[in-house]
Amino acid sequence: MNEMKETLTRKVKSEIKERLERFDLREEIDEKGNIQLWLKLYNLKDILHIAQLVKDFGGRCIIISAYKKNNHSVLVYHFDIDGMILNVELELFDNKVYSITPILNSANWAEREFKEMYEIELIGHPNPARLFLDESIAEGVLREYMPLSQAMNGAATCCMWEKIENERLKDEN
Amino acid sequence: MKTKIPIGPFHIGLEEPIYFKITLNGETVDEVDMINGFVHRGIEYLAMQKNFFQNLILTERVCALCSNNHPFTYVMAVEKIAGIKISKRAEYLRVIADEVKRIASHMFNLSMLAHLIGFHSLMTQTMEAREIVQDIKESIWGNRMDMSANTLSGVKYDLNESQIEYILKSLDKVEKEADELIDIYFNNKLVKARTVNVGVLPKEDAIRLGVAGPTARGSGVNNDVRLKAPYAAYDELKPEFIIEEGGDVYSRMRVRWREVKDSIRLLREALNNLPEGPIVTQKRPHIPAGEAVTRSEAPRGELIYYLKTNGSQKPERMRWRVPTYMNWEALRVMIPGNKLSDVAVIFNSIDPCISCTER
Repeated sequence: MNEMKETLTRKVKSEIKERLERFDLREEIDEKGNIQLWLKLYNLKDILHIAQLVKDFGGRCIIISAYKKNNHSVLVYHFDIDGMILNVELELFDNKVYSITPILNSANWAEREFKEMYEIELIGHPNPARLFLDESIAEGVLREYMPLSQAMNGAATCCMWEKIENERLKDEN
Repeated sequence: MKTKIPIGPFHIGLEEPIYFKITLNGETVDEVDMINGFVHRGIEYLAMQKNFFQNLILTERVCALCSNNHPFTYVMAVEKIAGIKISKRAEYLRVIADEVKRIASHMFNLSMLAHLIGFHSLMTQTMEAREIVQDIKESIWGNRMDMSANTLSGVKYDLNESQIEYILKSLDKVEKEADELIDIYFNNKLVKARTVNVGVLPKEDAIRLGVAGPTARGSGVNNDVRLKAPYAAYDELKPEFIIEEGGDVYSRMRVRWREVKDSIRLLREALNNLPEGPIVTQKRPHIPAGEAVTRSEAPRGELIYYLKTNGSQKPERMRWRVPTYMNWEALRVMIPGNKLSDVAVIFNSIDPCISCTER
């Protein structure tokens, strides 16, 4: 089993070297012999090459994690290739990224979620619709600080009653 | 003539809120659209405001049925960053808690299948058999859902000889009941009429969409994390390679029952070979800066955690993805072409957890 994993890792690493020009790559093996690759990309378009590579190996996108670093967003893609995880880090300095959903359908929801939570612009997603948040909530909400009183919309005070009364009066008029 | 029918967000046939917009052509579903977000609670954001011990409590409350897998996968990520090695006994105890949860979760889903096809005596019988597993949880962990079994660097519970004997005796009872139930679920005409060739997910679509758990294994795709990337004691306690090829509701049901049987086998093996050792190795471990990805096989499939730390007491970023997140899109393949009355049965067959998915 471990021998098969090592052979697969070797093949994936050699393909990465073949298809990309500039990158950092490190390998991590846990005590059970599970292998994870950590890849850092410097060219935005390279994520499309990696998605194609994962597809060629019969892999899938497990999830994409987004977080904020200084003033820009960072994406960490997590792919699975027959039990091996390939983690790919990509920093977005202009908050735009190419969608990999046309290549790997399994990335569909993950891309839509970081779009609405971090206001990251997706280039070429087939269905960039909202996933969880209502249209009335601004995109990028996870990056914002929101006081509890505002989040509750005054639900614990007379503000809520006043709001309902105002809306009722508006309707009547 | 085409008709549009809304189901949800709150509906008697749905366990949790979700909104289906169904286009019907006569009695047959032509197209289905789904709208989510009714139970989005921002738990990921909340997790970044809590310290590493508080997050044990929080992650266990993301969902009820796979509540053990959340802290289990989370602690593995923290331990990986901190370089903490846990004892063999703790690894076995983690597996025992998880397999008990798997049996209870699968049997709940299977009883819901019986309920949705109108076979109420079968539903009652399945729930009664599941009660034996619920009793194990309540007796050993003190709770029927949230077992609080995991902690950083080990587990919070231990088993003595009499407790092991009690669990083994209870497993004999569950197995006897399960064998009787399996015969009905696999062979009964009513069950087969409502499940065979219903909600088919072809293998190529299962691979394309990256579905997980029994949903994948019912379509001939095995990505059981316990086998593909072993963790805890799963390198020693090997689960069976369970796969069905039909891709329909019947196949997914068969996978779950076969897994119930295999979990009973795994539990016996773990309980009879429980190694000696401490249950916790470090009381208050320091968590340095780093990042880690860990995953486990929850009852519904692969659960993955991404954790990034910066040396403080709280995660810098924590992200998780539950199996339903991937299985959801498969409903767009499974539902069209089926009767409207089968929608709830198909929906149940992915064992959906909306509370987990939306967080």
